[in-house]
Amino acid sequence: MAALAGEHSISYDARGLAEPDAAVPKVSEISGTSAEFDAHDLSTRQINLELRWLIYEQGVTDVTVRNPGAKHSLGVGILSRCKITFDGSLGYFGCGIIDGPEVHVKGRVGWSACENMMSGVVVIDGNAGSLTGAAMRGGDLVVKGRVGARSGIDQKGGTIIVLGSAGSMNGFMMQRGRQIICGDVGHGLGDSMYDGTIYVGGKVRSLGIDCVPGEWTDADTEFVERKFRIYGLGGPPQLQKFVCGKKLYNYDNLEPSERKLVL
Amino acid sequence: MSEHLAYSEPEKIKSIDAEFLSGHRFPYQEDISLVEDVDLDAATPGDDINWLEDVELLSEDGTPAVFDRYSNSFLKIYFPIPAGRENEIARKVLITHLQSGNSYGIRLKETHCKFPQPELGPWVAGSRTVGSEWKPPVLEGWEAPLH
Repeated sequence: MAALAGEHSISYDARGLAEPDAAVPKVSEISGTSAEFDAHDLSTRQINLELRWLIYEQGVTDVTVRNPGAKHSLGVGILSRCKITFDGSLGYFGCGIIDGPEVHVKGRVGWSACENMMSGVVVIDGNAGSLTGAAMRGGDLVVKGRVGARSGIDQKGGTIIVLGSAGSMNGFMMQRGRQIICGDVGHGLGDSMYDGTIYVGGKVRSLGIDCVPGEWTDADTEFVERKFRIYGLGGPPQLQKFVCGKKLYNYDNLEPSERKLVL
Repeated sequence: MSEHLAYSEPEKIKSIDAEFLSGHRFPYQEDISLVEDVDLDAATPGDDINWLEDVELLSEDGTPAVFDRYSNSFLKIYFPIPAGRENEIARKVLITHLQSGNSYGIRLKETHCKFPQPELGPWVAGSRTVGSEWKPPVLEGWEAPLH
């Protein structure tokens, strides 16, 4: 109920948009290059304005956001090297379109965390919803819990590491990048993927169209061990590798009968 | 520069590279000593090469090149690349290009970005903020239709 009190104090305009004026709250306690503020009574827009003001204008490189209250779209569009800690959970579209920050979420996140992330590091202590890392272009995204369906959909780069299990259609239409899923994955893994690599430690309910087992190489071992070492995740489990079979690459050029064989 | 240029209708520009966009070639495209000292780990977030993991040496018009995603163009490399260091050199040339502010996508920021952001992105600490004063461009003599 305490969190709801914060939401109730937010005013909305006729279009349902919160805080139409773009005034920066300037409520942070700044100490050198570090800052901290309580987001309990702030709207999404105010929190993001405060973050940008601190990072772009005050020279702050390390920000802690207390009580994020699972609000949506927090920490989006940060295009600078810095550290951001969310001392709680985020709603959907958290940390989207970021380029550079190292983010630590001490809680869970909703749908589409790190959507379109360009570079940076995001570590989520809890679970993440569906579409985690959607259309991600680069950087490392570590989820210490589970992820929902279609994580890494349309992934174009970067690395998604999941210590728990994953839902169905993971890596759907994946085009580049890597996923390491230590637990089980649902149906349709890597469906219609164009490229990229998916490593799975647990059981695979079923493979999607054109997703096939790949040949393990020394480069895979080096990559997985390096990522686990950097993020202090211990020893990696035994992993299976899956890649694109590349039979659908030019399916528009195939005769309909040939396409049926592929499908 | 790209050899696949044509401005007359109906033919369009088929491919563009960094030299075409900027109008000239950059020294680090021709001299490996200018990129040898680049620290890739320091240039990227975290304790790893981060997004550069996906950057590899490619080829454009038969010349070794690295793709600059921030301007959607290739940056050609004209010096001999030591065997076994192809991706490393490609990454170093790209980071040098971005840190120097020569990427066409960066050069467009001051005029066109609508929201405040560091001009040189996450590659250079303390970069100035651009985009704070953006105003919609006005086309002289044009009036919005009545509907």
